[in-house]
Amino acid sequence: MFLDSREGLALALPAALFTFLVFLVPVAILLSIAFQTDGGAWSFQGYIDFFSKPLNQAVFFRTLKLGVLVAGTAAVIGYAAAFCIVNLPPQARGRIFGLVVLPLMISPVARTYAWIVILGRTGIVNDTIVGLGLSETPIRLLFTETAVFIGLLQLFLPLMIISLVSAMENIPKDVIPAARVLGASWFQVFFRIILPLTREGLVIGGTLVFTGALTAYITPAILGGSKVLMLETLLYQQVNVSNDFVSASVIAMILIVMSFSANLLLKRIASVRR
Amino acid sequence: MTRNLSLIALAAAFTAGSASAQETLTISVYSFAQDAYKEALYDPFEEICGCELVIETGNSVERMAKIEANADDPVIDLAVISSHDALSLAQKGLLQPIDTSQISSFDRLYPSAQDPIGDNLAVGYTFYASSIVYREDLVSIESWSDLLSDELAGNVSLPNITGTQGPLTLMMLDKAAGGDASDFTGTISAIGQSGDDIVTFYSRSSELAQLMNQEEVIAAPVGRFAWSRFKSSPLPFAWADPVEGQAGGMNVMLLTKGNGNEELAYQLMDYWLSTEVQTRIAEALIDSPANMDVVVSDEVAENLTYGAELINSLNILDPAAIIANRDGWVEQWNTEVIQ
Repeated sequence: MFLDSREGLALALPAALFTFLVFLVPVAILLSIAFQTDGGAWSFQGYIDFFSKPLNQAVFFRTLKLGVLVAGTAAVIGYAAAFCIVNLPPQARGRIFGLVVLPLMISPVARTYAWIVILGRTGIVNDTIVGLGLSETPIRLLFTETAVFIGLLQLFLPLMIISLVSAMENIPKDVIPAARVLGASWFQVFFRIILPLTREGLVIGGTLVFTGALTAYITPAILGGSKVLMLETLLYQQVNVSNDFVSASVIAMILIVMSFSANLLLKRIASVRR
Repeated sequence: MTRNLSLIALAAAFTAGSASAQETLTISVYSFAQDAYKEALYDPFEEICGCELVIETGNSVERMAKIEANADDPVIDLAVISSHDALSLAQKGLLQPIDTSQISSFDRLYPSAQDPIGDNLAVGYTFYASSIVYREDLVSIESWSDLLSDELAGNVSLPNITGTQGPLTLMMLDKAAGGDASDFTGTISAIGQSGDDIVTFYSRSSELAQLMNQEEVIAAPVGRFAWSRFKSSPLPFAWADPVEGQAGGMNVMLLTKGNGNEELAYQLMDYWLSTEVQTRIAEALIDSPANMDVVVSDEVAENLTYGAELINSLNILDPAAIIANRDGWVEQWNTEVIQ
């Protein structure tokens, strides 16, 4: 059943060629704009100009911060949810897992608009706060970093849970009870058994959530607006408002580098602790 | 022999096909109200000219970029765009002067619409007023400066600087603060100082309508063309008549340089600016007329920027000033307001 190298090459060639021509080549051309001056010479001036502006620095660090926070929080919640799911009876596990996957079948636009209803001045959260007498007037929740964080977390949490459930299912069933019988606390069980044995799932889930949070456009645009600019919303502005393709290419390159860096960093952490 | 006959037949069929092919005119327009435009303008025009209109839509930047990218061999024949964007294209040498003798209603256009960017490089086809929409049951608006008052803190949305309404709002806030509407530095700083009190800086009027209908915002500057969105709401919205007056702007038509389709373009331009079509477009509540002969009912006029008295009273920002200062405004805005 094993293919020789020529057969393998022939089968892989159409997909590789298609991907190369319609994805890698256009992206490379687009990204090369950021390395060129008006005269066509190669230069890092686009990057220097971009990072010299305080607004761009603030947007870069806000994007990074929210990406890390969303991925970190998703990991914490995801571990709890995944542990619960893998220890449920098969029928209940299917139902709960279905609930986790269900939001992925709904458009991110619809999922994000739901948060406007929840977080608005006349939304459920503010109605509850005012109703309980915690505040006399509705508090500002929309168009804040908190709103963007909540929206992104809700958007990408299922990806983390799916990755961790998949990884956790491979842990032998008797390992955790054995550790507990031998006197390990739940803290020790997590850090010495569960975490080491689910690193691959954490790397995959972490990369998906972090990259997704970095590159999501709709959620920051709707829940943050122009007051909570992130790199992707800034990129849109540079192209569609300012017609500044150099800055847009710089941002695109930064997002690509951040995504790859996150993946490499997570893999590194996983391999170091193995 | 059979092969030769086949080739001749094919050539004849091709020639006949070419002779009967419809002429096409490619126009670049704003993307809003396209169904209504089709009914009021595109379909009737195609009947008259026996031609086909190719409609290209998008935001101003996308459409301008397309005109610029195809400057050597234009794919757009006629475009409608804001007056300052038109001036920007004119300064890059991408437009050709309009032969106004080809427009039968030209003398019936409001004087400010006849040559809005100079050298007959564009002609105005619609005006829009800009004022403040507010919840009259919750607040009263007397001045543009009310937008930054303590009373409205936390309940106001302003247009983003990058949109059409942004510079107009700066102009009126500057005027309300006693400025001469030529230097917006102080106004942008004042907005920056009130940044926490501004709910958000909206980009599209549809976004603002949603915010106001959800009661996130109770007052905001907006163009009159969006008033119908608020008027039809069950909430009690009102259109302010501030002491400083209303701001205003104009959208214009232009011809791309050397497009080779001028005859058909002039035919559409002439039809679009005619009293008949301008009335039809006004009655459909699409665009306010630039043709002085248009007469509409009070009910329709309520939704438009209509009538000489109103149009002549509008505070219109010089397109050249917008182009000259926009980069500086955006830079300061990004530094002091968005940050």
